Amino acid sequence: MLKDITIGQFFPGNSVIHRMDPRMKLILTIVYIVIIFLCKNFWSLGLVVLALIIVVALSKIPVKVILKSIKPIAIIITFTAVLNMFYVRTGDPLLDWKFIHITTGGVITAVFMIIRICALVVASSLLTYTTSPTLITDGIEQLFSKFKFMRNGVHTIAMMMTIALRFIPTLIEEFEKITNAQKARGADLETGNLVQRAKALIPVLVPLFITSFRRAYELAFAMECRCYHGAEGRTRMKLMKYTKLDAFGFAFIALATGGVVALNIFFQHVI
Amino acid sequence: MSILKTDNLTYKYSVGTPFEVTALKDINLEIEKGELVAVIGHTGSGKSTLIQHFNGLLKPTEGKIFVDGQDIWESKKTLKEARFKVGLCFQYPEYQLFEETVFADIAFGPKNMGLDEEDIESRVLSAASFTGVTEEMLEKSPFDLSGGEKRRVAIAGVMAMEPEILILDEPTSGLDPKGRDAILKMIRDYRDTTGSTVMIVSHSMEDVAKIATRVLVMNHAEIMSFDTVEETYRHADSLISVGLDVPQITKVFLELKRRGIPVKSNIYTVDQAVSEIDRLRKEGVSLC
Ligand SMILES: Nc1ncnc2c1ncn2[C@@H]1O[C@H](COP(=O)(O)OP(=O)(O)O)[C@@H](O)[C@H]1O
Ligand SMILES: [Mg+2]
Repeated sequence: MLKDITIGQFFPGNSVIHRMDPRMKLILTIVYIVIIFLCKNFWSLGLVVLALIIVVALSKIPVKVILKSIKPIAIIITFTAVLNMFYVRTGDPLLDWKFIHITTGGVITAVFMIIRICALVVASSLLTYTTSPTLITDGIEQLFSKFKFMRNGVHTIAMMMTIALRFIPTLIEEFEKITNAQKARGADLETGNLVQRAKALIPVLVPLFITSFRRAYELAFAMECRCYHGAEGRTRMKLMKYTKLDAFGFAFIALATGGVVALNIFFQHVI
Repeated sequence: MSILKTDNLTYKYSVGTPFEVTALKDINLEIEKGELVAVIGHTGSGKSTLIQHFNGLLKPTEGKIFVDGQDIWESKKTLKEARFKVGLCFQYPEYQLFEETVFADIAFGPKNMGLDEEDIESRVLSAASFTGVTEEMLEKSPFDLSGGEKRRVAIAGVMAMEPEILILDEPTSGLDPKGRDAILKMIRDYRDTTGSTVMIVSHSMEDVAKIATRVLVMNHAEIMSFDTVEETYRHADSLISVGLDVPQITKVFLELKRRGIPVKSNIYTVDQAVSEIDRLRKEGVSLC
């Protein structure tokens, strides 16, 4: 069902990763992604993967869910791996047949790429799995509002994002309700060719649009009634606070970064 | 044979996710042809979930549903038949209007049934007359009507399909008392004229007591009772305990009983109250 597609795929929980400050999580995720690309050999890459496994274990997100996040990009991964295998010509030749030339360098690069992309996707999914969309937007807003000249723009965008995120489930629910109501009147949404199906959506889309506009007006009124006027002079009820957990997280990623740099220096580069 | 029957019906939302909820637990009920059943229960007790099973919009997690003795999930064909045999009008049906004219909107259902033009027109006109939709309104855009008028148009849209069972989910919610009475009277007239089976969902006993033949009380995904209005009111105190509203007069008599005065507890209209007090007077019981 449509509702099963959760935007941002937040997976509620109470693990140490869930409880970390969203700002810290955002920064650390970005740093982590950078160090994935700093890795020059399998030793440092191994360290990066190990760090990721530890964090996944701490987050208590089921492994099945984590693997599901990789599924949608399986094609991209395969494509990248195959391309690299054929086009990288360094190292010893492994296969020479007609126009296909595969070398050890190609295979190593392909494997490297697969691991890198997987780590990248898992790390960024982990952020959205453990942080609610609203917290992520709030985190981004807080980070950017350090720069005074950006504050108003960032606030507006963050507010728009928050409202959009808030209304996605509502709209999906509304969509299902209207679909059911029209189905009850005998509307057939599942059979027929593309044109017929597109036409069959009219009875659902017209009421949906009307409802959305009505909701938008109502919300705007409600916000004005509560004197909303943008970022100027606005304070927060719940202030974000860095805690010990964030310090640990920071230290953890700092150590991983140091480790990667050291391993890059000590061992031979393969990529 | 009963026109509608459920067999150990259980339904869970979002199975296999952390948000799993059991919305219906082991529901067994039978409804006879021509009944007017009221379904009541507090918000979230599973009323809407239950009725969406009757025309196959929701598929039972466990159990079966029979319409006219036919298991509706047996094949695609039986499911489609159930869609047309059981007319379902959702809560706030005014938000499902989409056509350019009221006439076209009411005709949407009959058109989907594959009827010819003449049939469609006669059905639209008769549904319009049941619901008090005037000829002048039929030519208007549904979006130019008032809230109450829209609601009637939407109900007409389902009635025009002439279902064997008409089910309405909270048809009176959000209406003023006058609009509420008009809708209830309209539903009663519809049943009296066509002889069809009708189900009305409501969270207020007061609304439906006057017209229902039987009352199905839902509580936390289960059937609490399914009996005549009289019998249901006999347990008025348990209705209150599950968060349902009962008429003022019933509350007065419950309180009298609590104070040790031997009154009947299934009083729900002022007329009944008057005759009950008369009876007590005759028997020489003091009310104070
Ligand atoms: N689409 C849905 N997805 C998940 N849970 C739902 C959905 N619709 C209803 N529920 C849940 O099922 C239960 C019964 O709801 P519902 O049948 O709408 O009750 P009622 O109509 O009596 O107010 C409630 O706990 C509600 O939260
Ligand atoms: Mg409901």
